[in-house]
Amino acid sequence: MNYIVRRVLSGLVVVLGVVTITFVVSRLVPSDPARLYAGARARPAQIDEVRANLNLDDPVAVQYVRYLGDLVQGDLGTSFATKRAITRDMADFLPATLELALLATLLAMIIGIPVGVWASARRGRARDSWVRLFAVSSVSIPSFWLALILQLFFASRLGWLPLAGRVDSSTEFTEYTRFFLVDSILSGNIGNVLDVVKHLALPVVVMTAYPLGLTIRLIRGSMLEVLGEQYVEAARVAGIPERTVLSKLALKNSLAPALTLLGLTFAYSVSSAFLVEAVFNWPGLGNYLTSAILRVDFPVIIAAALVITVIYVVVNLLLDLVQAKVDPRVEIQP
Amino acid sequence: MNQRFVTRFLTPVFLMLAMFATACGSSGSDSAADTGSAEESSAESAESAESSESATESTEPAGDGRFVYAAPSPIFDIDPNSSFSTEGIALHNVYDTLTRFNPPGSADLVSPNLATDWTSNDDLSEWTFTLRDDVTFHDGTKMTAESVRGSLQRTIDLGLGAAFIFGSIESMDVVDDTTITFNLGFPAPLDLVMSSAFGAYIMSADATTQETDWFNAGNDGGTGPYMITSHLPNESTTLARYDDYWGGWSDKSIDEVEIQIVEDSVLAEQLLRSGDADFSYNLSSDSIPSLEGEDGLAVVRGTSMTNLTGLLNHVTLSPEAREALILSFPYDDITAGLYGGEANRAQGVIPQAVWGSSTLDLPDTDLDAAAKILADAGETGLTVTYSFDAGDTQQQQIGEVWKASLATIDVDLQLEPLTFDARWEIQQGDPAEAFDVFALFWFPTYVTPYDYMFSMFRSEEFPFFNLGYHANADFDALIDEGDFLTATDRAAAEANFAAANQMLIDTNAAVFMLDVPDVNVINSAIDGYVSNPGYSNVVRFNELTENG
Repeated sequence: MNYIVRRVLSGLVVVLGVVTITFVVSRLVPSDPARLYAGARARPAQIDEVRANLNLDDPVAVQYVRYLGDLVQGDLGTSFATKRAITRDMADFLPATLELALLATLLAMIIGIPVGVWASARRGRARDSWVRLFAVSSVSIPSFWLALILQLFFASRLGWLPLAGRVDSSTEFTEYTRFFLVDSILSGNIGNVLDVVKHLALPVVVMTAYPLGLTIRLIRGSMLEVLGEQYVEAARVAGIPERTVLSKLALKNSLAPALTLLGLTFAYSVSSAFLVEAVFNWPGLGNYLTSAILRVDFPVIIAAALVITVIYVVVNLLLDLVQAKVDPRVEIQP
Repeated sequence: MNQRFVTRFLTPVFLMLAMFATACGSSGSDSAADTGSAEESSAESAESAESSESATESTEPAGDGRFVYAAPSPIFDIDPNSSFSTEGIALHNVYDTLTRFNPPGSADLVSPNLATDWTSNDDLSEWTFTLRDDVTFHDGTKMTAESVRGSLQRTIDLGLGAAFIFGSIESMDVVDDTTITFNLGFPAPLDLVMSSAFGAYIMSADATTQETDWFNAGNDGGTGPYMITSHLPNESTTLARYDDYWGGWSDKSIDEVEIQIVEDSVLAEQLLRSGDADFSYNLSSDSIPSLEGEDGLAVVRGTSMTNLTGLLNHVTLSPEAREALILSFPYDDITAGLYGGEANRAQGVIPQAVWGSSTLDLPDTDLDAAAKILADAGETGLTVTYSFDAGDTQQQQIGEVWKASLATIDVDLQLEPLTFDARWEIQQGDPAEAFDVFALFWFPTYVTPYDYMFSMFRSEEFPFFNLGYHANADFDALIDEGDFLTATDRAAAEANFAAANQMLIDTNAAVFMLDVPDVNVINSAIDGYVSNPGYSNVVRFNELTENG
């Protein structure tokens, strides 16, 4: 428990640092947020009034302190572009990106770990080579290129899958969680589920590519290292089935680094999904943040930096706890 | 298979082959951004269209009374009193205005809408509007003169967006439920103002008490044919039919509309071809020929009230330099080449679709004359900075073509792409440090030449959109008088604006580049679409019917 408390406190310091830096940098960018809020053709008097109403003419330090005070109360501010509470915008857009990142990470684990183990057991053979070729390709292919190619073939040319969006305009269900796969299942309508799955297919495949390749390579490498240990050899000599040697003895000790990397990849996916979201017109955090950056909508920029930092901090903490659970060699100092 | 062979040779070869295969198989529209002849691109687009047709089914209507609009510009703020951008695509179907601007060629500038009739006194300082008595808001309440007063007052009080168009209003008197009188502090063509594309919407009493975030949460208080059912900023806005709409409905009307924001024109094109979208605009001009040949799609050309002007910095550029820049601009190459013949050369600052436009005495591209002017003025080897919107491919291409043209007469055009906010801030600073040429798109708030002339060229102490720092008292007097004459003597107003327009040409005020083309692509199973440039890119969904 002490460890968790210490990690949470250090995480807060990290978040505060990121927020501060982002806040300061956004104020240095040449732009006039009051004009953004007032509108493209607002007159100088209108802009001045908006600037006063939004307290933008206060010193930066005062604005910063006020912002931190609002943050403590859970208020991320108002977007100058959408003129809505950013918490509301986040509630709309973040789940869409999290859904992609979670599914991609899950698929990478489900497929990557067994394939990596399988390849390690066939080291040097043709099948191992093809797996390695696949893994390297997955890691190397740029996500935007893969997205465009898959969209071209499966959506545009073959018409098997939708071109864009999260769901068909005619599909309706209650958005309890805004994770559409979950919500469509809760709706009890198989048509809804199929529609959501079809829309998820291409973007999830694209986002899975990198972590999948990484997982395969990492698991294979770790397994090969562990399989060369004396205790593994001893187990084989003792007549323990190869399947048990691989899955129970070797894999357990190989899993930790892969899980760590998957966790960080998940967090990275959340912040880097904008390319995939742009290609598939996916209404997620990436598109929202890209738009905010182009418009210098700095409340959104700061809020997004905050959210992504929190995700990284939480994921890192969870990874450390999981690693301690999985790998007996890792011990948490209280 | 040898591991070294796989990792060091086969993998990169495989990746390179895959990339080359993709590049060879990419559609013609993907190459639209490349410089090259329009003919080559059209040929590629035609081949792409053929392969698209063979691979995909013919487009069919969305079916069941649904219509999908793939909008290339973002919709953020749907508060009708503060929105001042492309939100009109949705808002003009959810709200009504007192009057409505008529498409070019109509006898009258405006038609009755929520107002059935209007009168003014001789000096245009008092206007009385008579309202329809059969209009209800989406919340079921009845529209009255008080609704009109409250709606416009909210726009004035908020002071955002297009609130300035009501700057003439001193007070509003509700005479009875269907009559309202406006008392103006200075004369204004209020019938035209009330047809504005922005800020003149009429809303329910309840809506006038709401904050902006209520509207942006997807609520509305309109009288229009559709209600907002959901709104995700910059992603999608969905509308559903309002059964008690005062304009009535036909059997095959559109019941539901989804406005999807699709900023990528290639994706929008794909959505149209696949039948996942029924309407879009701002597509690549190279794709238009193939879209015209596509089964199930129709290309509808309208007239545009948006133009592109290169405002010339009157502080950093001498009159000779300005004249040379105007003569050096490759007008024909731009309109015929880059825009595939869809664009027209601008006739001064008034787009040809706007009343008051006229055919002017325009200079042709003449590089020799431009070179001579510079040489005589001792300004050879000039360096000129040209600012335009970063990320706008066509503006970039215009700059590149103009740069090449100027290079032949030893003028270095430095291209400065920046976000609009950033370059606007620079241009509003010290004129001596500002850009020499500032590219600016303009569309009217309400349709009058005065909007263009006042905004971009009327003298002002602090440059707002007069970003060339143009100052001419004679010009100011002409256009101010024209604005006054707009409601009382339209012919005289047009004469004033035409004279002012020619004055801008004669004094080399700016490079009037082009009137932006209005090319729309719609599902051919849909009838009833009419392009009204007074409401840029607005589709009146209730006027559409499915002919399938």
